Amino acid sequence: MEKRGIGVGIEGIFKQGFVTTSLDSLINWARTGSLWPVSFGLACCAVEMMQAATSRYDLDRFGVIFRPSPRQSDVLIVAGTLCNKMAPAIRKVYDQMADPKWVISMGSCANGGGYYHYSYSVVRGCDRIIPVDVYVPGCPPTAEALVYGIMQLQKKIQQNDTIAR
Amino acid sequence: MSSRLAEKFESSVTANNELTIEVPIKDLISVCRSLRDEEGFEQLIDLCGVDYLTYGCDDWETDEATYTGFSRGVERVHEKSTWKKPRFAVVYHLLSLKNNDRIRIRTLLPEQNLIIPSVISIWASAHWYEREAFDLFGILFEGHPDLRRILTDYGFVGHPFRKDFPLSGHVEVRYDTEQKRVIYQPVSIEPRILVPKVIRDDNRYAEDK
Repeated sequence: MEKRGIGVGIEGIFKQGFVTTSLDSLINWARTGSLWPVSFGLACCAVEMMQAATSRYDLDRFGVIFRPSPRQSDVLIVAGTLCNKMAPAIRKVYDQMADPKWVISMGSCANGGGYYHYSYSVVRGCDRIIPVDVYVPGCPPTAEALVYGIMQLQKKIQQNDTIAR
Repeated sequence: MSSRLAEKFESSVTANNELTIEVPIKDLISVCRSLRDEEGFEQLIDLCGVDYLTYGCDDWETDEATYTGFSRGVERVHEKSTWKKPRFAVVYHLLSLKNNDRIRIRTLLPEQNLIIPSVISIWASAHWYEREAFDLFGILFEGHPDLRRILTDYGFVGHPFRKDFPLSGHVEVRYDTEQKRVIYQPVSIEPRILVPKVIRDDNRYAEDK
């Protein structure tokens, strides 16, 4: 049997009735398979994010289910222009999320201010407020680009070792 | 209809088939009330402030922009404003569904005394429009029940739509890891003017073609 990418060994499962794997692989498999983002749309990027969630791109098949509460979420997708007025709120949402947590910065505005870089009211990149794991470029990024960004985040999580140091 | 209104109020302009009347502050309420009650303008579509400080001044030479293309960081072209009237104005757009007609009222305000009577008692929709004009231009509406800022940040200083307000503002925010909160600090970027790629007065739009 071909070995799976995430390292969950299912060799011999049919003969012996059990599998062996490392705990880290199991943890990472669980984490990447249920990345629940908090519903946090700020601008037009949020429309693309919604489209990524609906039936055509169907983020559910990655285990990505949007949650209404930061307490239940693993990922914060900053989808849109982050204004000065919103900055303390997004930091609060981030602080309320339980560890482990990740952040995807979606679109030009969240990455670095974008079109509104010189504005008096826009944060020049959401990484001034919260630490970012994956930047998705575009204005707005397509739904495919966001799905790709989520897959990149899954790859990043798989490189983590929780038990083995 | 338009001609009858134009007679009623002293200064009026008709441009692009749209009627604009200019009303002094002291007559504003009575004019608005008679427009609603007698002329059927039952809706206030929009209310906005205007700043004429740089009226007639260009940030860039639009004719050259067509040839030089998309450039950045150019110097501001300083010209003297051609505006001779008071600096600020409040503009009201009215709609009459009954008569299928629209009208625009402009009231000019001097910079020293930015107080104008509120029209909330005439059109209730003026509430947030007047808050917006107060927020962005600093125009005070006398008789407004709740004249707070509506759009800008809590504790924002200044009125950003005034022409002498710098585009990048005075403060920016970042998260401070030691204080564990979002803090304000002076703006760290240099202001500059962006020249877009525009095509104006191009030969394609010449009269003879």
